[in-house]
Amino acid sequence: MSVVNLQAAPDDSSSLLRLARDGNAAAFEALVRQHQASVFSIGYRMLGRRDAAEDLAQDVFLQLYRRLDSIETLQHLGFWLRRVAANLAIDWLRRPAPSATQALDTEAELAAPEVECDPLMTRALARLLGELAPAARAVMVLRYQEDLEVAEIATALDMPVNTVKSHIKRSLTALRGKMIGAQLVSSEELP
Amino acid sequence: MSQDIENELRRAMRAIDPPADFTARVMRNLPPRATVTAIAAARPAARPSLWTRLSAPVALAASLLVAIVLGQHMATQQAERQQLAGLEASRKLMQALRVTSQKLDLAYEAVQRPPPVAPPAEENRS
Repeated sequence: MSVVNLQAAPDDSSSLLRLARDGNAAAFEALVRQHQASVFSIGYRMLGRRDAAEDLAQDVFLQLYRRLDSIETLQHLGFWLRRVAANLAIDWLRRPAPSATQALDTEAELAAPEVECDPLMTRALARLLGELAPAARAVMVLRYQEDLEVAEIATALDMPVNTVKSHIKRSLTALRGKMIGAQLVSSEELP
Repeated sequence: MSQDIENELRRAMRAIDPPADFTARVMRNLPPRATVTAIAAARPAARPSLWTRLSAPVALAASLLVAIVLGQHMATQQAERQQLAGLEASRKLMQALRVTSQKLDLAYEAVQRPPPVAPPAEENRS
């Protein structure tokens, strides 16, 4: 297996894809590093457990390795990874497994980038998100974590655009209601 | 407030890095490339399309519907045939009764008619 100098051209991602398709392990490893946070986070937000998220991400990248020949561009790669991760997570959640879901805030050791925000609100929102139905949760994760457009989410999850919009609207309403119930916000703050 | 919640969601859902050895474990678990190519060539997409997933139940439902409609049609036709046969049998029975009635009338008339008077042949001899 040939070795490619990835440091020499860190931004040349198209050639990474080409090299990975040609069987270059270092190039594939670089692609994994580029996308692993996104895939792992989708798994974590969907499944609520670090170990399950790792398993899911491993599975997604294994599927990518098997289907590299069908990936045409880097944009396609990113979309493909999100799509497979979200759908796989929905499948796992629908499987009758006793440990399918767990509250997100039990995994407090997870390292996240430091940004200015209310940690209490952040944790509560993450926990409340975990209470949504699998499909609705996937929509919210793709919308607010991955910043996908409604049409892209519809394509990724194989559902009508109006269903995606409906999921977002209903989930936001539910989250707002739960936040009021948990006294994270007061009803006076609502419009 | 809606915008606030959306912003809070975006903040709460920042990407999280997997464990440090994640990439190495992915690379360790990869199968040989030749095996991968063979598997990829033999296997279709990971998640079948909506139509592919629904085609079997739709086909089954359509078959059931056709079977029900055909069954109803055949049952109706059989009922019509039985009704026609019944009418034909009834018509034949009425015909037979009419013929029998006519024969009985003739027989009755024959019985009721007085017998013809025989000529007194014995008296002439003596």
